[in-house]
Amino acid sequence: MTFKEFILSRVQVFFVLVTLILFGSAVLGEIYAPEQELRYYHMFSPILLAGACVLPTCVTYFKKEPTPLQYILRQALELAIIEVIVMLLVSPPPSYSGSETVFYITLGIMILIIYVLIEIMTWLQKYRQAKKLTEQLKVLRVKE
Amino acid sequence: MQTKITKIPHDKPELIEIQCHSVSDEVREIVAFVKSRQGRVSGMADDKMYEIAVVDISYIEAVDNKIFIYTDKDVYESRQKLYELEDILKKKHFLRISKSMLLNLMKVDAITPALNSKFTAVLFSGEQVVISRKYVPDLKKALKGEIVK
Repeated sequence: MTFKEFILSRVQVFFVLVTLILFGSAVLGEIYAPEQELRYYHMFSPILLAGACVLPTCVTYFKKEPTPLQYILRQALELAIIEVIVMLLVSPPPSYSGSETVFYITLGIMILIIYVLIEIMTWLQKYRQAKKLTEQLKVLRVKE
Repeated sequence: MQTKITKIPHDKPELIEIQCHSVSDEVREIVAFVKSRQGRVSGMADDKMYEIAVVDISYIEAVDNKIFIYTDKDVYESRQKLYELEDILKKKHFLRISKSMLLNLMKVDAITPALNSKFTAVLFSGEQVVISRKYVPDLKKALKGEIVK
């Protein structure tokens, strides 16, 4: 993977993260602090949070092809880094009256769900790419 | 090495003859090129030399500085270098898919995504070979009919 390809993949992950964090915030807010009112500057939070999550994922950059095990380990490390960063940056809203532990567990699960959704989306994109290549292969065979 | 071309009548068979002091790598390369133009490459199996039809080759792999030619049923060893075979077989829909492998695209049934950012080529024989991410752009070009350098 070239560095350019890697940067492009990170930009893609960034935008997916912004969308999913926005969705996650809406779900968590609706559950734990439905009466909370938001200001305009709150809208920057998903962008900042996505940026903070994407930057440390540079640990997954590989110049040489990784083995499946190396790939899985790097993905696990990436998830762990994102979990830690979000836990450090996000705190329960002032109006939240429940247990902090429950809040952080819910947040952790939400991050995991978002991460898995990104992986699924990336996989689907690759699947579509593979399908297109197979179709082109069939066309090439017919031409021959 | 000098070259000489002589036109012959249509009733006589065409022939390429190489007159050389010794059978060097250069001579072997020329012979391999001529054979590949005729749709054949040479390979050894059980201490015998065989002429393998290019259309029968599934893939060619370099393992420990040795080159192996794989067909659906047999494996042959080649004396040629992988890059030499790549040059010769480029026009026959063979493509480099990893540092050590040339794949005959005509033998590929489907391409599927693999776990670690790669793709897998599923051959008609059921065998699967990994396409490295680095060579995916070349694969896309080849399938679009563009020339891969």
